[in-house]
Amino acid sequence: MKIKSGFVLRNVADSYVVVATGELSKEFNGMVNLNDTGAFLWEIAEKEIDREYMIQALLDNYQVTKEQAVKDVDKFIDIVTDNKFIEE
Amino acid sequence: MFVLGIAGLNIEIINKYNYVKDMCRDYIVDDNNNIDFSVEVSEADIVKEQSTARIACSEEYCESICIYRSISGKLINYNAFLLHGACIEYHGNVYVFLAKSGIGKSTHIRLWKKVYGDDVHIINGDKPIIRKAKDGFYVYGTPWCGKEGWNINTSAPLKAFCFIERGADNIINKMPASTVMKRLANQIIMPKEMNEVIPYLDMMDNLIRETDCYLLQCNMEEEAAKVACKCICQR
Repeated sequence: MKIKSGFVLRNVADSYVVVATGELSKEFNGMVNLNDTGAFLWEIAEKEIDREYMIQALLDNYQVTKEQAVKDVDKFIDIVTDNKFIEE
Repeated sequence: MFVLGIAGLNIEIINKYNYVKDMCRDYIVDDNNNIDFSVEVSEADIVKEQSTARIACSEEYCESICIYRSISGKLINYNAFLLHGACIEYHGNVYVFLAKSGIGKSTHIRLWKKVYGDDVHIINGDKPIIRKAKDGFYVYGTPWCGKEGWNINTSAPLKAFCFIERGADNIINKMPASTVMKRLANQIIMPKEMNEVIPYLDMMDNLIRETDCYLLQCNMEEEAAKVACKCICQR
């Protein structure tokens, strides 16, 4: 599983935004706002959504506890799944 | 057919109805040789616009809306974009007031006119164009200007954005840059194609970093304009 191709992630004035382009823009109107961690996880998820890998990546790059990393990754996966941002 | 001169561009409009030409009369230029781009909307686009409009609209009015949407889609090629907001020129600089429809942009700039009189010129009441030049961003008047019909065929440098919320008292605060895009997104038409979205977002990045942005919570008293002016015009 990974993020559908056609989404663009960009840093705009110190905030991260995601916009759907091309065919995807018919399905997704508007803009997704991400915080720093969300953007970090999004970039990984564009290649592959691997829960264990993402938790470890958070631990390696941010000063977070294992408990917090698990919570953040699970929340991220729930959000991208619920909003149908992902494909097989 | 006529040539529309807005935002420093010559745009050829191939119209079906006279309504749009009449609406654009103050912006028509006599220069058929230096056309930047052409716009023509199909009957199907007009019918689609008519069927999705919230209130009943004539075909000629819908053509004018479709034409402006089509123009806005091409502006990114010229480092420009359309913004939903009301803008005034005060002492040589432009201040743009932004809010969703119905919050009170027009009411607020009416207060500026009341308090500051002829020092305030309403460049556009609803949909100005902003274009990046070598020395910064400029705001341009357009004939598409909302129900009050406030528009002037002119341009001046952009000084500040002021997002408006209704409040009991008048309070204004500078916004951190990181909080601006989320609000600005409600006031723009995002392009759809990947090769346009990236330069568009980069232009937004540049715009937000170069422009002072404020959040004004205000009522409908004259004090609202005074509080806003004291803060945004003094910097």
